[in-house]
Amino acid sequence: KNTPPRAAAPAAEAMEGLDTTPALAFEKDAFDLTVEDVYDISYVIGRDLLKINSAGEEVSELQFKIVRVLEMFEALVNRHNLTLEELKMERDNLKSELDRRLSEGSEQGTMTIGSNKMVVDLKDPNRPRFTLQELKDVLQERNQLKAQLLVAQEQLQLYKSGILPQSEPAAVEADLQPVPPAPCTTPKEEKTTIRKLCDLKISGAA
Amino acid sequence: MAKKTYDLLFKLLLIGDSGVGKTCVLFRFSDDAFNTTFISTIGIDFKIKTVELQGKKIKLQIWDTAGQERFHTITTSYYRGAMGIMLVYDITNAKSFENISKWLRNIDEHANEDVERMLLGNKCDMEDKRVVPKAKGEQIAREHGIRFFETSAKANINIEKAFLTLAEDILRKTPVKEPNSENVDISSGSGVTGWKSKCCS
Repeated sequence: KNTPPRAAAPAAEAMEGLDTTPALAFEKDAFDLTVEDVYDISYVIGRDLLKINSAGEEVSELQFKIVRVLEMFEALVNRHNLTLEELKMERDNLKSELDRRLSEGSEQGTMTIGSNKMVVDLKDPNRPRFTLQELKDVLQERNQLKAQLLVAQEQLQLYKSGILPQSEPAAVEADLQPVPPAPCTTPKEEKTTIRKLCDLKISGAA
Repeated sequence: MAKKTYDLLFKLLLIGDSGVGKTCVLFRFSDDAFNTTFISTIGIDFKIKTVELQGKKIKLQIWDTAGQERFHTITTSYYRGAMGIMLVYDITNAKSFENISKWLRNIDEHANEDVERMLLGNKCDMEDKRVVPKAKGEQIAREHGIRFFETSAKANINIEKAFLTLAEDILRKTPVKEPNSENVDISSGSGVTGWKSKCCS
């Protein structure tokens, strides 16, 4: 930081005409500048100041100010590049940490992690997503409809064969049941599908 | 409605490990067919088959359960209504045989006390892959006082015999009553009981 810009270097004059590359620093993008570029710029400005200085003493005050501005410029570019470097390192660290965690996760797949937890891939179209109760309800309704279909088919068969008498009250098979209903029997289980629909209950759970 | 399409309704239940052939055993009995593709049963399904025993038309409502553990809570809710339970293992699968005691415990926990039980060692056509000797099946059946058959749904061995024997055993315990009529009751959960038609018509 205390290095004076090359503008103060006495050898500046000797370089003139031989080395034009320092001037290229003026053409660079401001955010791509390195401290070396700042030194090149200082060199070029210092060289030009020396030309003016040989003409008169009035510009010496201006010369110091320019040197000061170049020093500030140097500090800013330095700081900018350091910050940029730090951010890049932090980004890379986070990236590798993310990769590490992702690969750990994929190794485990849908296996359990911790106590009775399961990892579910939300992008998997076959992931589990319905509750046991929903499955229970759907299965019960499926089986009920199947039973009704079987009964209907049977009745149809009887009609066709002419066995079926015209109208007789539907008999009840309850007395044949060997099992009394369990205590937790609820009216819900006795609802027909139509009733369920009328109740507008999506899941059918009462 | 119908005068009667059957005299008695028996509710049977098939249980056992996943893949032992419960669905195939049932399919052979109900449709006299066999399918080699394995499709895991989702939760619970049933089939109906009417048979004639001792001059009585007996409608068998046979519940087929999923063997997979994840359906356990669904399937066990169907134990209570069963009058007969067939516990199936696979003679080519030692694990399915070892699990018999687990399934018997399930029966004790969830089924009626007087339920008729039967043990089936399925896939007996695959003699070259057998790992469970027939004697072991007979022994465990004897220990628990239940009937035992080795069956093959594929080769149609002992399938009908097993179902008819189970039905006969239930019939023997059934007091003679007035024949009932239609209505296959399928309520589940708290028991496959027949109160539905009474309560909500």
